[in-house]
Amino acid sequence: MPTALSSTDPDQAYDAPGRLAAARRSVVDVAILFRFREQAVRRRHLARVLSLAFLAVTLGAAVVPAFLPGAHGAGRAFDILLLIPTLMAGILVLNIGSAIGSGGGRELISRDQAGPHPISPTTDHLGALVLAPLNIGWMIQAWVLLGSVSYSVMPGRLVQAQVTMILWILMGTALGQVVAWAVEALRRGPAGIVISRGMLVAAVLVAGAVQLTGHTARVLDRVPTVWFFAGGTSPPLTWRLWETVLVLLLGTVAAVVVGAVPAHVAARRMPRDEARMETDQHSPRPMPRSVLGILVRTDRASVWRSVPMRRGVLVLAVGPGLVALFGDLKWAQMTILPGLVASGGALLFGVNAWCLDGRGALWRENLPARATTLFDARTLVLAEFLGVASLITILVGALRAGVPDAQELAALVATLVVVTLQVVGAALRWSLAHPYPVDLRSARATPAPPAAMVGYSARLATSTTFTGLVFSGCAHVPDWRLSLIVGMPCVMWSATRLARTRRRWEDPVTRARVVSTVAA
Amino acid sequence: MTQPPVVDVRSLHVRFGEVEAVAGIDLEAYAGQATALLGRNGAGKSTTMRVLAGVVPPTAGTVTVAGLDIRTDTVAVKQLTGYCPDVGGLVPRATPWEHLQLSARLRRLTGWEERARDLLERFELGDVMNRVTGGFSHGMGRRLSVVLAAMHEPRVLLLDEPFDGVDPIGVEATFEVIADARARGATILLSTHLRDLAVQACGTALVLRGGARVAAVDAEEMAGEEGARAYRALLD
Repeated sequence: MPTALSSTDPDQAYDAPGRLAAARRSVVDVAILFRFREQAVRRRHLARVLSLAFLAVTLGAAVVPAFLPGAHGAGRAFDILLLIPTLMAGILVLNIGSAIGSGGGRELISRDQAGPHPISPTTDHLGALVLAPLNIGWMIQAWVLLGSVSYSVMPGRLVQAQVTMILWILMGTALGQVVAWAVEALRRGPAGIVISRGMLVAAVLVAGAVQLTGHTARVLDRVPTVWFFAGGTSPPLTWRLWETVLVLLLGTVAAVVVGAVPAHVAARRMPRDEARMETDQHSPRPMPRSVLGILVRTDRASVWRSVPMRRGVLVLAVGPGLVALFGDLKWAQMTILPGLVASGGALLFGVNAWCLDGRGALWRENLPARATTLFDARTLVLAEFLGVASLITILVGALRAGVPDAQELAALVATLVVVTLQVVGAALRWSLAHPYPVDLRSARATPAPPAAMVGYSARLATSTTFTGLVFSGCAHVPDWRLSLIVGMPCVMWSATRLARTRRRWEDPVTRARVVSTVAA
Repeated sequence: MTQPPVVDVRSLHVRFGEVEAVAGIDLEAYAGQATALLGRNGAGKSTTMRVLAGVVPPTAGTVTVAGLDIRTDTVAVKQLTGYCPDVGGLVPRATPWEHLQLSARLRRLTGWEERARDLLERFELGDVMNRVTGGFSHGMGRRLSVVLAAMHEPRVLLLDEPFDGVDPIGVEATFEVIADARARGATILLSTHLRDLAVQACGTALVLRGGARVAAVDAEEMAGEEGARAYRALLD
C-alpha cells in the first residue's frame, strides 16, 4: 500500500516556520547545544574555576589599572589614551582574521554530529558567536583594551568608557563573524578560492604599501574607532554618549542578524577545498628505506593534506612575519615570534597529536612497529611542522632587519630550539593525558573542545612568551655564548619531560586508552 | 584436535574503568579454521578482537597467538595477525596504496605489490588506490580494511564486522579471502551480526553474552530458522 502523498492528496508537507519563529528557534537551539557540550566537559570543577578566573581577570583589567601610579596623568597614561582607537581597530581586525581563518568560526557541534539534527545555519552562526570569546587572542586583546582604558581615562568617565568598550568588543566580534561568513560563502562559490586568495594578497600589499610609504600614523589617526572612543568618553548624560551607546547596540544587533545571511549562503555551497582534499589523487612514491621513514611520511601526509592545518599554518607563519616586516621589528624583538608561531601551530593538531590517524588508529596500532618508533615519528613531524612555520616567520621578518649580530643570531636560534622543544613536549604530554575523537576534515575543526583549547593556548602563550622575553634580553648582551648557556638547561629540561612522555606512551594500557578514544 | 590451538584465550578479562567489557572469555581457534564470534552489541566481540590484535592489553587472563604471549610478545603477535577493525580502520588522509606500503614496510614484505593490486581489483578498489580514503564511502572503507588485513597473508586473520554496509560483490570477495586463508592454513576469527553470512563463512560459532562465552557450536547449528531460534534463545 503506497504511503507517499499523491498529487490529489491535500498538502501535508512540512510547514517551514516564519523568519522570526526560525530565529527564535535558533536561539533556543544554541542554548540546547551549549548545554549538550557543557555536559561533555570532563573536569567541571576546573571549568567553573576557569570561568570565575576569567571574570576576575576581566574585572581586574577593567578596574585595577585606574589605581596604579601615573594613571590618568599627562605622561604615559596620555600616550596610552592616544593608542586606544588603534587598539579598538586591532580587535576588529583580530576578530575578522580569526573567524576567516577558522572558516566561519568555531563549531558548537561538529559537522558529523550535527548532520542528523535539524540545526540551521543561523544556529551555527550564533554558536560560532558564543564560542568566539573562548580564544586566548580574543581574551588578551579585550583585557589589554579594558586595562588601557582603565589606566588612561579619568575616573569620572571610567564606567561609561568601559561600557562603550565592552559594546565595541561585542560589535567587533559580531562584525568579524559577518565578514568571515561572507568570505566563506565567496570561497565556496565559483572561482572562490582564487578570488579570496587574491583579496588576501591585495590586503597584504595595501597594508605593506601604507607602512612602507610612512602613512601608517595618518591612517590610524583617521580610523572610525576614534568617533566611538570620543563618544564613550564624552561628558556623562550627554546626547553624544547616548548616541554612541545606541549606535554600538544597534550595530551589534544588526551584525548578529545580518551574519545569518552569508551563513545560509555558505551552508548551501560545498566547501571546495575540503572536497578537493578528499578526492585528491597522490601518485605512489618509492618505499622509504627505514621504518621511521615511512611512519614520518604517513604522518606528514596526514598533516599537510588537512585543510585546517594548511590554512592555519599559512596564517600563522606569514601573519606574524608580515607584522614583523611592516613593523620593522629588530632582531632582538623577533625572539618573541617563534614562541607565538609554535604555540599557534600546536593548537592546530599537536595538543591532540594522535587524532591525526582518526579511525585508522586501531589499524595502525595493529602494525608491528615499536611504540617508541611511532612516538618518534609523531614527535619529528610535529617539531618539523612548528619549526618550518617559525622559520618562515623569521625569514619574512628578516627582510628588513639587516644582518644580525652574533648575539642576536644566537638568541634567535636558541629561542627557536627551546620553544619548539617546549611546545612539542607539552603538546605530546597533553595528547597522551587528554585524547579526543576529532575529525580534522573541516576548516572549522579544532583538535580539542573550545574550553580545553583556551587552557592549552593560555599555558603555551605564557611559557613561550616568557622564554622569548628571556632570550630577547640575552640578545642585548654582547656575548653570543650567553644564549647557549641559558638555552642548555631549558633544552635539557624539555628533553627530559619529552622522554618521560615517551616512556608513558610505551605503556600498552595508556596507548590503548588513547587509541580507542581517538578512533571512537 | 591433536594440534595445539593457534589462538588460545583463557579467562580473558578486559576492564575500562568501571566497565567490564570482557568477563572471562575462553576461546580456542585452530589452523585452517574459521570461527565466528556472535552476540549482541556490547557482548565483548570487538574488545576480544582488539585484544587479539594487540591493540588493547588484557586486564586479566592469558592470551597466546601461535604460542606467543600477547602481553610480552605484542609486536611479534602483530606481525602474525591481520586486523580489520570494527570502526573505520583507515587513516583519513592516506591513500589505499600508502596504507599498503606502510603495512608492507613494517612487516618487511618483499614482492607484495602484485598481490596487493590483485586484492584491490578483487574488491573493486583498483581505480581509487591513489585517492585519499577520507572521501570513501562506508562500504569502500570496509572493503579496504579487509584488503589491509589480508594482504600480508597473516597466520591469524581478525575480521571485525567486515560485511557491515558492504555490497554483494564486496561480501563475495571477503568470502574468497576467508576461503583462501583457510586453504593456506590460517586461523580466522570473524565477528559479525549477520548470522547467515557467519554460518556460510565459518565452521564454528561462539556466542558471547555480557562479556562471556555462552555457547560454542558448529556453525551449521546456527543455520536456517532452527538456528535463528537457537541463536535468539542464547542472546536472552
